[in-house]
Amino acid sequence: MRRLCLIVLIAGWTALQLPAQLRITGLDGLASKAKESVDITLDSSMLQMAGGFLAGNGKDKDQAKIKELLNGLKAITVKSFEFKETGQYRMEDLEPIRAQLRTPGWSRILNVQSKEEISEIYTRTEQGKVVGFAIIAAEPKELTVVAIEGTIDLKDLSKLGGLGVPAIPVPEQPKDTGKKGKQE
Amino acid sequence: MNLEDELRAALRREDPSPGFAGRVLARAQSRPAPKARIPRFMWAVAMAAMLVIGFAVTSEYRQMKAERAGREAVIALRIAAEKLNQARDKVVRREN
Repeated sequence: MRRLCLIVLIAGWTALQLPAQLRITGLDGLASKAKESVDITLDSSMLQMAGGFLAGNGKDKDQAKIKELLNGLKAITVKSFEFKETGQYRMEDLEPIRAQLRTPGWSRILNVQSKEEISEIYTRTEQGKVVGFAIIAAEPKELTVVAIEGTIDLKDLSKLGGLGVPAIPVPEQPKDTGKKGKQE
Repeated sequence: MNLEDELRAALRREDPSPGFAGRVLARAQSRPAPKARIPRFMWAVAMAAMLVIGFAVTSEYRQMKAERAGREAVIALRIAAEKLNQARDKVVRREN
């Protein structure tokens, strides 16, 4: 009995030490207000399927890169909303996500804040490798939250052609500019 | 003999031979009514057809699911790349 209690305690302690998978919550009501919204959740089995599909359809030159990126991933969640007008969401709506990103294991590598915009990038590293990645991008008429679980190379990700935005090279060391207010 | 007489002769009532009813009953009891049987190979063909159809439907469903997952993964990673680059761009612009 004593041994069983010890095992349970160790298991519980270990579970507490492991950062749980990031859950994007609190944004469910925004889809109805949005002009356009994207809600994508892919778990490991879906990502495997996606990789298999992309392997057999090499039309797009980026698809090989995407397939490579998918190899190390365990889950992807993207929630993106584009609104007609400003004030459709509150910064407090992001608090449940931010609270998870404040837990041990996660670190903010980039934080750009202005009066109306916020861009935050968080990573979770294990043995020098990025194993979790999150972006919060809040603009007056747009809100995007991305959570990626698994091994991912941010340089490779940044090289990927976005949706019309040219890729910018990412420096070797991710930096937190450290200035609060305008740019942290 | 005219036609009417011929018909009447042909269709006249005749009594069955003695024991006719008994013989009919005995034969009816001795032979079971033949069942409409489906040959065994037809069952095998039907089952094979069902398996093939089931496999085709499952395969098509998996293909559709993979296609959708692939499309969503591409969109998700492109959005992530775009937002990552936009954030980096903001930093670069502020530093310059």
